[in-house]
Amino acid sequence: MLGVGASGPVHADPPAPVSALPGARPTLEERDAWAVLAGVRGLGPVGFGLLLRRYGSGAAILREASSPGGARRLVEPEEASQGPAEPAEGVSQAIADGIARAADGAALTIGRIRSLGLAVVTVEDPLYPIRLTQIEMPPHLIYVLGSPGAMHAEAVIAIVGTRRPTDAGRAIAARLAANLAAVGASVVSGLAIGIDGAAHAATLQAGGTTVAVIGSGHAKLHPRVHGRLADAVVASGGAVISELGPDVEPSRGTFPRRNRVISGLADATVVIEAPARSGALITASWALEQGRECYLVPGAIDAPASAGCLAFLREFPDRARIVAGIPQLIDDLGLADHLTQPGVTSDVAATLTGVGEVAGRIGREIAVGRATVDELVASTGWPVATVLAALTILERAGLTVGAHGRFRAAGALAAADPDKSRQRPRTIV
Amino acid sequence: MLAIIPSATLHGLIGRFIQVEVDVAPGLPGFTVVGLPDTALQEARERVRGALRNSGFVHPPRRITVNLAPADLRKAGASLDLAMALGILLGSEQIQAGPDPVAFIGELSLGGEVGSVPGILPMVAALSRRGIRRVVVAATAVDEARLVEGLMVIGVDTLGEAVNVARARPRRHPGSRPPRIELMRSTLPAATLETDRSGSDGPGVPDLSEVRGQLEARRGLEIALAGGHGLLLIGPPGSGKTLLARTIPRLLPPLGDSAALAATVVASAAGEGPIQELRRHPPFRSPHHTLSYAAMVGGGPRLSPGEVTLAHEGVLFLDELPEFGHDVLEALRQPLEEGRIAISRAGHATIFPARFQLVAAMNPCPCGFAGSTDRPCRCGPSLPERYQRRISGPLRDRIDLWLAMPRVGPAALITGPEPEDSSTVAGRIAVARSVALGRPSGSLNGRLRGRRLRDACALRSNGERHVVGLAELEAATGRGTERLLWVARTIADLAGSAFVTEDHLDEAARYRPSDSRVAAMEAV
Repeated sequence: MLGVGASGPVHADPPAPVSALPGARPTLEERDAWAVLAGVRGLGPVGFGLLLRRYGSGAAILREASSPGGARRLVEPEEASQGPAEPAEGVSQAIADGIARAADGAALTIGRIRSLGLAVVTVEDPLYPIRLTQIEMPPHLIYVLGSPGAMHAEAVIAIVGTRRPTDAGRAIAARLAANLAAVGASVVSGLAIGIDGAAHAATLQAGGTTVAVIGSGHAKLHPRVHGRLADAVVASGGAVISELGPDVEPSRGTFPRRNRVISGLADATVVIEAPARSGALITASWALEQGRECYLVPGAIDAPASAGCLAFLREFPDRARIVAGIPQLIDDLGLADHLTQPGVTSDVAATLTGVGEVAGRIGREIAVGRATVDELVASTGWPVATVLAALTILERAGLTVGAHGRFRAAGALAAADPDKSRQRPRTIV
Repeated sequence: MLAIIPSATLHGLIGRFIQVEVDVAPGLPGFTVVGLPDTALQEARERVRGALRNSGFVHPPRRITVNLAPADLRKAGASLDLAMALGILLGSEQIQAGPDPVAFIGELSLGGEVGSVPGILPMVAALSRRGIRRVVVAATAVDEARLVEGLMVIGVDTLGEAVNVARARPRRHPGSRPPRIELMRSTLPAATLETDRSGSDGPGVPDLSEVRGQLEARRGLEIALAGGHGLLLIGPPGSGKTLLARTIPRLLPPLGDSAALAATVVASAAGEGPIQELRRHPPFRSPHHTLSYAAMVGGGPRLSPGEVTLAHEGVLFLDELPEFGHDVLEALRQPLEEGRIAISRAGHATIFPARFQLVAAMNPCPCGFAGSTDRPCRCGPSLPERYQRRISGPLRDRIDLWLAMPRVGPAALITGPEPEDSSTVAGRIAVARSVALGRPSGSLNGRLRGRRLRDACALRSNGERHVVGLAELEAATGRGTERLLWVARTIADLAGSAFVTEDHLDEAARYRPSDSRVAAMEAV
């Protein structure tokens, strides 16, 4: 099992090769067998690899387990069924019993996966994301809701960050995601509240594809408030994936473990905002561990929401990279030439054409950071009733959201660049 | 000899006519009170004995029996003291009764001073209904008793004065009073002792001009008061929620005749100090969140009115709403729905009026700083939502306006424009209320239902489409749509518009429950 400390991944066991017949395309029956075995408590990559080498396929393991006396043979294999090269070492009795039980309930497990519309993608599958096979200990299967193709995009970038971002951090996440969508990159994140949600939402808004890696089973989606966002991710050609069975509850350990999949799916990981001891830094550590690029958005040295980013940059000065601006980051990622739609960083005024003059003015004020009704009334000089009605119009158009009496840009308005004068630099000399 | 004196007691908010029968008979000396008296009434024997002696009369050493008719009615309080003392004097023939019938209501001190009791107004009204034309009350309660028309009210300070009213001829030589020593003046004018607790126009009510910024909340408060809508203010500590709510008494128009009478009866029964005239200012109650269930709904051995009744025809302000006991909040459901509360206890049941406007305030989360920019929230990310869920569905349904109040930055506090004062806003509220009351339904917008609501809104077809569109913003239950229409109607009234337009609806949609807004934010 992997040990994940607060500061990042820690080596545990040597990597276990989980493949019996490399290169062969697994049958549906075989995929199902893997899914059934994945639900056995305590059966990790090592034990699974061992059984797989001995029996040749997941389906064979299940057949053995459900035959009379099979559970015993899983523990202590008979001479006859034993390959000559393999030392006679089996799994523990408890795990063997678990496999036998799983074999009995196989139909139920498969039915559950089918009814949720999940695809099972094993590490032997061609659909299994190549980038993920290159990390240490990839999950030997993932459950995919939606289109697995989103994980195979030419460029895949992870955007992660705190669950309690500042408005500015949220806006950066949204603008970056929109720009990545414009250059055809897939955006990977964790579907959490905060930066993750802003990144997913902005990608969808810009017409891009995004992959959400969740830290629970699909039927136990967490946070529940993002259920609609998850549906939208799937509906727009993206995917919601998990390495956990559909009914696994989220727990303290599942999220750090999930983070290695986020960084593993991506060419590079970008951390927008992370306070000290943020889970986003675990993802950043994984990215470095996996030999991927890792970018962090710096913040003011006294901003709590950026303390983790700065600490990380200080700790890995030669490996962690700094985000100097969104166009610069696109350049650094080598994606600048992919820019097909020149107008993605559309200006604010263009975004607000459909909402009328009054709401348009309020939208511009919000885009430049006026957050409360008091500020909006002060800057426009309009009656409070007018401002409030305009806010509803903007909200219905999906251009602003408000909570706790503060409003900020959302959707296309969040992705729009409030400062048109800033030109996209080609290179920095 | 038997003496029969009319008097009255208070039962909940209702005065009941009581016939005090005093029989002074030969036999072993004793003093018995029968007719379901409670403890305070049993103690009346000692007060009466002392008052007689210290007023220069004789407590006769004979067998005294007091019967309180009707005998099956449980009686409480000290309102019968004076009648019992007069009965003993008449029964023992120390005085002769005059020709005119007269009723007595009052509590006696051992020194013979007559004090007022709670509920003078309803008790005198009960006597009036029974055809009594003269009533003696404590001098401090005369103004209150005179609110009942068609009765001659006589105020007395002492038992001696009361005797002079009852007897045929004034006493020639006063009996010798036992000596007394006083280390205090026992009879300060009551007005200087009691402060006006409902305090509507008192100096403690802040003016709206003291509230700087918070334009959305000010606007919401104006709408809520103009339409009689339930209001919830949500904001971090120091954002001015409580200050804003405390300005309410000066923003509401005075009560009409029947409402003023109802409010005065409640104030009288609650013993809220001396009442000089009808209470024209709407009551404003702000109980602390530690109050008990009984204190909220009323009850207790004497069936006292609770906070919901004390706020009748006025405003009930609940600060720190989620901190109130679950039972206490659940008990608000019936009064919010029906405008009254039924109290049933073993042996007695009553219905109190409780038509109040609910105004509440709360922090967005237990630490108070969720959504604040100047201080981080220390609660988990899902805690603010759970904190707001402590307010149960039925109660949420009764809150039409949900207002978030961010903290106002110091710059806005100093440089912002001069805010409007209470009288300006109160003027607009009064006009909007009279417009609403002038419609065929004749009620405030917050109480309109079904067809009357649709008629009042006078929506054109594009307005109806707009309502449907806005309803999608919240998980629109029927209640959500109603809420939208109520509030929009009031906004239109404030704007002097006969029709509800799309602008009014757009603004009304801002005041929907915050949880649906938070969900919208996270789900984008």
